[in-house]
Amino acid sequence: MSAAAPADERAQTVGAATFGGAGSNVSFDNVSVAYRGAVVLKPLTLEVAAGEILALIGPSGSGKTTALRAVAGFVRPATGRIRIGDTDVTDLPPYRRGLGMVVQNYALFPHMRVENNVAFGLQAQGAPKELIAQRVSDALRVVGMSSFASRYPRELSGGQQQRVAIARALAVRPRVLLLDEPLSALDAQIRRGMVEEIAKLHRDLPDLTILYVTHDQSEALTLADRIAIMRDGALSSHGRTAELYRRPPNRFTAEFLGRANLLPVTVAQMSGPNGYVQVRHGETSLLCASAGERAGEKRLLCVRPQHLTLAPEGERSNRIGGVLKEALWQGELTHLVLDVDNTLVRVVATRLPMGPPKTESRLDLYFAPSEASLIPDEASA
Amino acid sequence: MLAWSPAARLVVWSLAALLIGVFYLAPLAVILLSSLAEQWNGVLPTGLTLDHYAQVLSGDSGEAVRASLITGFVASGLALLSGTWAALALRLQSERWRKPLGLLYFIPSAVPSVSVGLGLLVAFSQRPILLNGTIAIVVIAHFVLISAFTFGNVSAGLSRLSPDFELVASSLGASPAYRLRRVTLPLIAPYLIAAFGLSFALSMGELGATVMVYPPGWVTLPVAIFSLTDRGDIFSGAALTMVLVAATLALLLGLERVAARIVGSPQ
Amino acid sequence: MPDVALAAPARVRPELGRLWIVPPSAIIALLFFYPLALIVRQALAGEDGALSLAEFVRIVHSPFFLSALLNTATIAASATAGCLILGFTLALVLAFAPFPGSVFVARLIDTFIALPTFLITLAFTFLYGSAGILNEILMKSLSLPLPPVNFLYSAWGVILAEVTVYTPFILRPLLAAFSQIDQSQIEAASILGARPPRIVRRVIFPAAMPALMAGGSLCLLLTVNEFGIVLFIGAKGVITLPLLIYDKAIQESDYQTACIIAVINIALSLGLFGLYRFAASRFEA
Repeated sequence: MSAAAPADERAQTVGAATFGGAGSNVSFDNVSVAYRGAVVLKPLTLEVAAGEILALIGPSGSGKTTALRAVAGFVRPATGRIRIGDTDVTDLPPYRRGLGMVVQNYALFPHMRVENNVAFGLQAQGAPKELIAQRVSDALRVVGMSSFASRYPRELSGGQQQRVAIARALAVRPRVLLLDEPLSALDAQIRRGMVEEIAKLHRDLPDLTILYVTHDQSEALTLADRIAIMRDGALSSHGRTAELYRRPPNRFTAEFLGRANLLPVTVAQMSGPNGYVQVRHGETSLLCASAGERAGEKRLLCVRPQHLTLAPEGERSNRIGGVLKEALWQGELTHLVLDVDNTLVRVVATRLPMGPPKTESRLDLYFAPSEASLIPDEASA
Repeated sequence: MLAWSPAARLVVWSLAALLIGVFYLAPLAVILLSSLAEQWNGVLPTGLTLDHYAQVLSGDSGEAVRASLITGFVASGLALLSGTWAALALRLQSERWRKPLGLLYFIPSAVPSVSVGLGLLVAFSQRPILLNGTIAIVVIAHFVLISAFTFGNVSAGLSRLSPDFELVASSLGASPAYRLRRVTLPLIAPYLIAAFGLSFALSMGELGATVMVYPPGWVTLPVAIFSLTDRGDIFSGAALTMVLVAATLALLLGLERVAARIVGSPQ
Repeated sequence: MPDVALAAPARVRPELGRLWIVPPSAIIALLFFYPLALIVRQALAGEDGALSLAEFVRIVHSPFFLSALLNTATIAASATAGCLILGFTLALVLAFAPFPGSVFVARLIDTFIALPTFLITLAFTFLYGSAGILNEILMKSLSLPLPPVNFLYSAWGVILAEVTVYTPFILRPLLAAFSQIDQSQIEAASILGARPPRIVRRVIFPAAMPALMAGGSLCLLLTVNEFGIVLFIGAKGVITLPLLIYDKAIQESDYQTACIIAVINIALSLGLFGLYRFAASRFEA
């Protein structure tokens, strides 16, 4: 994308929404959707703040796409209301909601040139010619596709088509931008670049609210201000990205957002002012971050693979021992898999003192207390 | 491929050539030849002449060309309109009714064309609507028979259209009418053109219903050809047949050109 | 699912979009179903305008009707069988042993679909008629007094013409099905030692089955309804149901008989149409 003008100036030219300056918040108020008698989205109550990116993630069938389509107006909720800004849009058809949408397969109109694709929404809403021309060139500039204006979609690569699709959605100054797995159809290489571009877009257009649906948690972790994790049609957890990652509230979240090691532990006692709690795994005593547990409760200790290291010689606390089962060297990192009392623990090490250790050897691992948290053990609850 | 050795391939190709030649090429060639023949008593015609063409293109038979072309264009145009309308409207129905309703539109093509003609004759030879002996009834007969094909073609085209296009257009603020005009119809244009071509060809060759309802002043090409051959005038019949074939093929080719140009044209 | 509107318990949204189907439906109802209803009513017309099956039963038992029905059935079945054989053979060659120009040939055969059916009959008159080319050649070369080849003005002529005209309807779906067969399946079979006839039997034929069923039932429907070819052949004793309808209505102005025959013909056609839709849905799957 062009870096000619400073960020805020660019934001001025393309950031103002038609509906009163800023992007709008989106509220789901007890929204449920049924299809052919089966409930595909259980009653959902969720707030998306104005100007933030909320990622809706989850496995297929989790209801995330249904929730997005409900906001778009493509499916009608069986219960509940949907609000965009101050407007209750539940009964409004899609073309009256002031949205923009980008889909997985770009859906660029093949019979129109790029510039006409981008102009489509404005023409459909009856905007004057000068405004259309202005907005089209702005939108194309933001996504860096100005020199492709008179090409046809079939002449463009996947990544280029997706950028045009984004420009087309931005040109109508939507209150909310809906992205439905926009990068799934792209090659891994292109996808990485596009994630950065979307992040940059969010910085350049701070007023634009973005609802981003994806099954790829790394996209969500990179882009989202807040994440909502869906599972089996219901909301499993939601919160600020970093919070959700570092202190996952439940097992599903821990395992879906990054990989997690889960060790069954029992709470021993609350420890001092640091907010740490002492837990016992078998004979071993460990310290980790606390969230108000009481002694005697069973929990799962969650620690990410990259937060485990081979225990340094002098370190006495937070050691956990296991038998090395696999060591996979992958250039930048080494993956280790250990058997700790019949639980498989994964470690991602970037620096190993003397090459990969031998399998079947006993190793001690260490983690910092602040890097580990406790999760309710649903099985034993 | 199946035939590996050169010998096997030769055998297979000879068989294919024989079949294709006997069934498809010979008949076409023979009609062309006979339309140009002076006299044909032996194995080959005695001479070539354009007299038969001159004869058929003037007078009554010339009228037949006009009648067929007009009926073809009008009936095909109306059938395209009706079939497209029905195909688009069907998408707005609930899932349960879509298939049964769609089936209803195909039924006119499943019954013998003669019965369609008979029905029109029986229905519109009496009050309240009197149509027998008019040109309209011929056009109507063709229309009824062809609409099933246009409906089928357009439905197939619509089902191949990704729903994303119309959904995104809607999200960008396009009302249903605007969407139809600028997204849906342009994207199915190739199917519309193919449907029109097929309709026209079917109309040009339609005999069963026409022969039941046509008025003396509106003789179509197939009916005229039958009259000629029935009374023994086979060379003129052949010439008129070639005219029919030429007109049909010319239109089909022309439409293909139009379709090719539309697919790549700017908006 | 674009614009799927699900029932919202508290409000009812008027589904005006559903009404768009009314105009074209009304037109088809008026121009096709209403005449159809009148045909049925005419067929069942008894004394003094009451409905009665008497005439209906009488016609159905009459010899001319039964022979026409038999003709229709045998001609349709034979023609369909011929179409299947010819179509399968040609499709095999075109798909698996293509020769230069095979694309052109496939298109040529495709164009035949757009041409009127009686065209072939006319050509056959010139080729196989009593004064046709074949007979002339045979008579000249074998010094025969009478034309030896005389099948044209009989059911065989009709069958031959129908096979020519309707094979493309089998060829098209077959070629589509064959293009789906993975080339590597055939190569694998060959490497394992299978010779072409076995490959055809065990690999290609099963894959072609749905297309054959769909195309075959379509052919059956089309040949039962065929009119132009039978009219042009005009042979005595080769009368099919559609031709009988025409004769009764136009030549003899016996509309009631025509309607009765039409009802039977339509019922038969609709049954075959149902069969075709069933077979076609299996083919698409």
